[in-house]
Amino acid sequence: MIETLAWIVLGLPLAGALLLSLWPGEPARPLTRIVGLGTIVLGFIGSAVMFAELLSRGASNRHVVSTLWEWANVDGLRINLSILVDPLSMMMMLIITGVGSLIVLYSTEYMNHDRDYRRFFAEMNFFIFAMLLLVLAANFFFLVVGWALVGLASYLLIGYYYEKPSAVAAAKKAFVINVIGDVGLVLGALLIAKTFGTLDYGQVFAAAPARLGHGSFTAEMICLLLFVGCAAKSAQIPLHTWLPDAMEGPTPVSALIHAETMVTAGVYLIVRCNVLFQLAPYASDTVAVVGAATLLVGASIATVQEDIKRVLAWSTVSQIGYMVMAAGLGLYSEAMFHLLMHAFFKALLFLAAGVVIHALAGEQGLNRMGGLHRHLKFASISMLIGCLAISGIPPFSGFFSKDDILSHAMAAGPVGVVVGTAGVIGAGLTGFYMFRMFFRAFTGPEPDGGYEHRPHMSGWAMAVPVGILGVLATVGGFIQVPGGWSWVNTWLSPSLPAAPDIAPSATLQWITTLVSLAVALSGIAVAYWLFAAGPARRLAYADTLRGLRGVLLDQWRFDDIYESAIIEPGRELGDAAVRTAEPRFTQGLVTAATGVTMVTARGLHRMQTGLVRTYAFAVVAGAAVVGLIVVLAR
Amino acid sequence: MTPTLISHHTTTGVPLSWYLALSGVLFLLGLLGVLTRRNPLLLLLAVELMLNSANIALVGFSRYWNVSDGQIFALVVMVVAAAEVVIGLGLIVAVYRQRLALDVDALSRLKG
Repeated sequence: MIETLAWIVLGLPLAGALLLSLWPGEPARPLTRIVGLGTIVLGFIGSAVMFAELLSRGASNRHVVSTLWEWANVDGLRINLSILVDPLSMMMMLIITGVGSLIVLYSTEYMNHDRDYRRFFAEMNFFIFAMLLLVLAANFFFLVVGWALVGLASYLLIGYYYEKPSAVAAAKKAFVINVIGDVGLVLGALLIAKTFGTLDYGQVFAAAPARLGHGSFTAEMICLLLFVGCAAKSAQIPLHTWLPDAMEGPTPVSALIHAETMVTAGVYLIVRCNVLFQLAPYASDTVAVVGAATLLVGASIATVQEDIKRVLAWSTVSQIGYMVMAAGLGLYSEAMFHLLMHAFFKALLFLAAGVVIHALAGEQGLNRMGGLHRHLKFASISMLIGCLAISGIPPFSGFFSKDDILSHAMAAGPVGVVVGTAGVIGAGLTGFYMFRMFFRAFTGPEPDGGYEHRPHMSGWAMAVPVGILGVLATVGGFIQVPGGWSWVNTWLSPSLPAAPDIAPSATLQWITTLVSLAVALSGIAVAYWLFAAGPARRLAYADTLRGLRGVLLDQWRFDDIYESAIIEPGRELGDAAVRTAEPRFTQGLVTAATGVTMVTARGLHRMQTGLVRTYAFAVVAGAAVVGLIVVLAR
Repeated sequence: MTPTLISHHTTTGVPLSWYLALSGVLFLLGLLGVLTRRNPLLLLLAVELMLNSANIALVGFSRYWNVSDGQIFALVVMVVAAAEVVIGLGLIVAVYRQRLALDVDALSRLKG
């Protein structure tokens, strides 16, 4: 039963996408809503039923592989069209379909003014299908297929407003950087195929300890190559520059794709390949360090952003840095726990921001906002919940997951302590920039001139998802309480056979919790002091640390480095090719070919004299030659 | 020649090699004429010479092997030569009537 359900859940969004795209003309709005939303809601119901079924089985009986047919059999490499339903993929499925259906419900109203309504829902359905394929794949082949399709869906959705040049450029940038990651991922998969002779998860992970050996060069290379793919998809340094630009897409897209599903695909991959990463200590350390660096860079840049969505985008980069850092240290279920909590509160933040943007008729700049608490109480409270959750304030969800990661990191060896400290500093920055955004938008005076039209609250289709996510962000953390119970760890442990046993002592946990909480609260306090207590104060400090502020506004100059080191030389190469190489080489070759033909023709042309005697002579000469050959050949 | 049984290599008779030598010399003379003459009439004359030299060779071989095939073939060649001359002379008369010069070097309108 699980097998059929899994295929149905996977196939429904694809069917929805096809139906909506192939419908002649623009279908009626209610139909688009029913098809677009229905497939995903049905998917969630199916996932919930599968979850209940898996729960009823014993913990050792939750690994289900279903194969439709053999896809390819090349030179001994067998690839099957098969899916894997196990605790890890079940968790991802619930997130994708559950939060996905909330966001699609939200977008039925958010996108209502848009002309291309049907295209949006077709592309969203396609994305959900691709993401489900990615997490359900039972071998590296279909993982890569899902990975690439998700990149395509992201491109389509970022460039949804295709008449805006900035949106098109952002979509291109996202796709190009994703392709760089794809190269790494495919190379990693090829190396796996070469080493193991198979791409199937079960076979690879079972054979890995014996075939690869701990710390071998092959193991490190495989994991590093896989990580290149993860870094691009999950926006880690240095392949992170596409995510802030991706905010050009509509807000529901930012919520679904660039906050809690696609960008978590990288984390999912590392957790899925826990067996491989545990055999590659250097690669894992690299992963952890990159995650920590991204965490800090993302948080620092978020402190100076003026656009509400950009603050959230950089905070996503930073929070995924936490997940990647945890995965690099071997804290796989802690990373997944934070992934789940992040899905709740980040979607909440984006959707609430969308309510605000919708109410202000498209305005996204923080300096055009202020005092919105008076007008949009619901959005204000939801945002507040989200900000508290992401800052890690108990009892909200983020507290439990972030605390889990940080305290376990401190117990994970010297690398763990270093990156854990970075994580604590990041917590302080997170508190600061999130509440900076909150105070500037919702408290304080209204912007000069007030609001043109009174900001009005949205309808139920937008409010209900925000409400549900608000509740989840508040109480969701209680599924794993340190010192109490750990349902996430228990649920995921069959999928994480190689997870190292890192258990911080109770003292260490308390110390880490208290320190990170104190740091976060002080970040919030600084934000309060600067932005809420005396709103004019922020202007007084606007000129301090101008050098640092410049660097942060330039986003640590990553884009500039890429522009000068890669893009400019590329353009120069193209120009040089057009200016010199083409006239000389390609054009020259063609001209040479025609020239040779002409010269030969002119030469042969002299044979046709029109004189009888020449032709007679030619006949005689030919006959003589033939005769000579006949005689000599004897 | 009477189809009597005369054996090969009769010591009384013209040896085959003489026939062939004569045929060769006449052929080459005709060839020389074809390659150097400018008047189309003389060109045709030279071609006739070449054809007849072939005839001599045929007859010589026919005598040597004591069969009549060669001689009959020589008659056929004569028929072909006659037909060809008819056409050739007709062409030359037509050219003359057009007031064109009877010079094959000048008749080169088909020059590529």
